[in-house]
Amino acid sequence: MKNQWIEFISGKVTVKVSGRGIERFINVLIRNGLIVWNVKRHGTETITFTMRLQDALKIRRYARERECSITFLKRAGMPFLFKRLLKNSGFVGGAILFLLLIMFLSNVIWGIEIKGAKPATEYQIRKELDKMGVKIGKVQFFVDNVEGIQRKLTNNVGNLTWVGVELKGTTYHLQVVEKKEPEKPEQLAPQNLVAKKKAVIDSMYVETGQKMVDIHDHVEAGQLLVSGIIGKEGQTQQVAAVGEVWGETWYKSHVELPLTTKFFVFNGQEKQKFSLILGKLEIPIWGFGKPEFKEFELDKNMKKIHFLKWELPISIGNETLRAREETIRTYTEKEAENNALELAKDKIKSGLDEEAIIKDQKILHKEFKNGKVILDIHFKIIENIAVGQPIPKETTE
Amino acid sequence: MAKKWGLRVRNWMAQKMDLPQDVMMDLPRITMIGQIHIYIENHRGLITFTDKELRLLLKQGQLQIRGKSFVIKTILPEEILLEGKIDQVLYINENPGGTK
Repeated sequence: MKNQWIEFISGKVTVKVSGRGIERFINVLIRNGLIVWNVKRHGTETITFTMRLQDALKIRRYARERECSITFLKRAGMPFLFKRLLKNSGFVGGAILFLLLIMFLSNVIWGIEIKGAKPATEYQIRKELDKMGVKIGKVQFFVDNVEGIQRKLTNNVGNLTWVGVELKGTTYHLQVVEKKEPEKPEQLAPQNLVAKKKAVIDSMYVETGQKMVDIHDHVEAGQLLVSGIIGKEGQTQQVAAVGEVWGETWYKSHVELPLTTKFFVFNGQEKQKFSLILGKLEIPIWGFGKPEFKEFELDKNMKKIHFLKWELPISIGNETLRAREETIRTYTEKEAENNALELAKDKIKSGLDEEAIIKDQKILHKEFKNGKVILDIHFKIIENIAVGQPIPKETTE
Repeated sequence: MAKKWGLRVRNWMAQKMDLPQDVMMDLPRITMIGQIHIYIENHRGLITFTDKELRLLLKQGQLQIRGKSFVIKTILPEEILLEGKIDQVLYINENPGGTK
């Protein structure tokens, strides 16, 4: 006997045959390779048996030659189950829809918890998150990944030292550490103001303290500018000298700038690709074909799909191809010189206080060599050269 | 010639090597399990089938099986498995000259 399950999969039919000469009919069937089983006699002129679905389709041909009538009684097996499934497709559709809905809802942000932040900071963080699109009810796929959120938050919210972002299921947990800015001491300790570096005094503004130098004086580094000891001889008093002493200082700078530079720029064209990733297998679902641009940079992103609290081994991949173009920038000698000068200024300024002003610059040396412009520049800069220096205790009386 | 040769070899083997006779002589081979199952190989077709009687055509003569509530579990061109309560297994020889 054949395996029951194979028959079940291919489908089986119970057939009722009535008429005369049924035995001969069965002989014909089996000789023609139609497999028949469970043959039962019901009364004198009726027999029932089971056969495969594919054989049942042929049976009419043999029956026509004889005086037998055939009725199909019972249909069983996968093909019929499948048919019934189609008939009740509403239920199947509902079940699939339900699963999809749960899957969809598992990938929605359902909560944002912020811990360790003051209400004001929390408000700021929430506003920043809103801007990023991290909101309750949003789908996680369209939101930055955790590292991105973390980076953006630390960059954009000023008074955060560190923020840990963690995605637990459908809730974002944010652990916040705020910056504790030291409060400025109200009462400064007694101090002098001394020169930071060699300079010529340009202007002075002294709040408290005894002025020791004058405008146009040349001072060396460490020289006393404003003393914290005030009062007449013998009745001196120690205070914190406060003030600004603007001095002219000098810097030398050396810059080299090539006349031609090769670099890549994005021209704004981009192509998005989405794919379903199953382990190592990638199935593209959106964005087919090769991009119409040759040079591009690839940005890959992967998002895991969740089902309730579990991570499914399926993820959605998003590739962004950005077209880039090679550009060659060429300067004339004059342009190169100007740009090199700007570059030098920027370099100098980055090392100075924000209030410092470049008063004058002078090109000491200019050279064009190996497709480069080489400049040595002398800068005159006016900056605050005063720094506080506590008055040692021993010097008091 | 070759066929005859083969037949002779097979006959010799059947005798010398204790091989079953049904293979050589086209005789039915009947296996019974108690009263409930009967398995017949080498039949030549169905003649009668009711729930009390089964008649099979053999190469020589017929085989009649009597009993109660018969169901043919499997039927293939040369094999048949019958289920039910078997009372009798009978050989019917219309021309006795054909059997051994």
